[in-house]
Amino acid sequence: MSGHLIDLYGWSGALASFVLWLLSLPFELLNWIALQTGAQKPGPLVGFIDWLAGPDLTALVALIVAITIVLLWATAFHLLIIMWIERKMYSRLQDRRGIMIGLGSVEILRNTIGRIPILGAPFRRPSHLGTGFLQTVADGVKLFQKEVITPEKADKWMFHTAPVIIAASTLLLFVAIPWSDGFWLMGSIENGRPVNPLGILFILAAFSIAPLGILIAGWASNNKYTLIGGMRAAAQLMSYEIPMLLCIIALVVFAGTLDPFELVRKQTAPFSLGPVQISFLPNWYVFNPFLWIAFVVVFVTVIAEAERIPFDIPEAEAELVEGWTTEYSGMRFGIVFGFKWLRALAGAALISILFLGGWSGPVFATFMVPNMAAAGQMYPVPILPQEFWFTLRIYLIFVVFVWIGWSVPRVRIDQILNIGWKRLVPLSLLSILLAALARGAWWS
Amino acid sequence: MVDGELVAFVILSAIEVASAIMVVTAKKLVHNVFWLAMTLITIGGIYLLFRAELIALIQIIVYAGAVPVLFLFGIMLTRRKIMEEPHESE
Repeated sequence: MSGHLIDLYGWSGALASFVLWLLSLPFELLNWIALQTGAQKPGPLVGFIDWLAGPDLTALVALIVAITIVLLWATAFHLLIIMWIERKMYSRLQDRRGIMIGLGSVEILRNTIGRIPILGAPFRRPSHLGTGFLQTVADGVKLFQKEVITPEKADKWMFHTAPVIIAASTLLLFVAIPWSDGFWLMGSIENGRPVNPLGILFILAAFSIAPLGILIAGWASNNKYTLIGGMRAAAQLMSYEIPMLLCIIALVVFAGTLDPFELVRKQTAPFSLGPVQISFLPNWYVFNPFLWIAFVVVFVTVIAEAERIPFDIPEAEAELVEGWTTEYSGMRFGIVFGFKWLRALAGAALISILFLGGWSGPVFATFMVPNMAAAGQMYPVPILPQEFWFTLRIYLIFVVFVWIGWSVPRVRIDQILNIGWKRLVPLSLLSILLAALARGAWWS
Repeated sequence: MVDGELVAFVILSAIEVASAIMVVTAKKLVHNVFWLAMTLITIGGIYLLFRAELIALIQIIVYAGAVPVLFLFGIMLTRRKIMEEPHESE
């Protein structure tokens, strides 16, 4: 049972009260000057200072800081990393090296920091030997610089609303996804443990809004490729959502909770299923004989929900140019295209929480970290905290997505619907049946 | 003192009524579907104000996510032509 490093609300509360204290300093000074020049005793600005550094405003600012941290953590950090992983990974699968632009490719860094004897070593490497991470940053900057073009015949209002729907529903996913016992945005603490009774349902609700945005985007562009792509995407997303929901129902029937924290707590114990106890195996639901079918189905549906390659017929490059994203340009394209990766990331996080033990992991050694919520206290943190194990799982699942995606051919649209309705839905009903039997008999 | 929940309720129900009117007055099918989804999502928000989180989330999964898109599919695919004429440019 490992501990968490990041205590999101503790840290953001400390940051918020510090910033508000800094903001209140000039007013304290004004108050002091007013007192020196003969004002009444408490001073004219005391009420304002109390409001500025008071608990209400601090809580509000702490919430805003926490939301910002989570969204930046997901979009600015993990999005770039998984794009880099994808590009490096499929390049290796194709027996080439892929993107190589590194710190040594930046002329300014190379000529300044690169001159420093030992510390500058990574900046001195030739540009064809870099790690390639700066390529994703460069692509992001490029997208920001590009002009946003609205097609003349497009439905302008809808055309610009659709990326907002897609972006908002994708970011909503990360509101409910916890990264560890302390790094969560949505939830509360009961008996010293985080709880979020409807977290999984919230994630599924956020997943279910995307088809609407995609369909509107495809229609509003007024282009036959985008319309066909949008219709395909909506059909695929709608039909794969059903087996995903059914399989999660199977898991919920078995586990008896919709709380991501509770699901992870149940999975941290050694494996136990009725009379069977296996001490060396963790109690992950993927190992459960009643739930591994649900795991397989959820894995496939998450690939389809993220429109990744075996199921990327909505943007089949060979026939539909770029699918429903064809007419978008500039950062609009960056949003509608990049947020597919974010949905894949959220899907990997969901798989990890539901079936692969979430953020549980071994503890090797601990170090002490100050507790931000209560001054002067320290609490032990493992050198490999829960956030590490969760991120590791997400990246490994994503690597498997990439591996599958670049190894298998694209599935036709009728085959996609056949797989969805004739294979996955019966399998998910079967897994509900198995889970209900296991629950109803004596095991759970 | 302003009641925050009352403000939220008034804003949500104003959006809801306005978009419900737009559902029946908008000319284009996709606009109708967009406003229908807007109506249903704001109803979900009103459920949240009633402290009924479960029914709010179910409302968003079932109604906002599935029903408008299914309507759109049903109507678009049973028409003779999917896009009957290009939209006029403003």
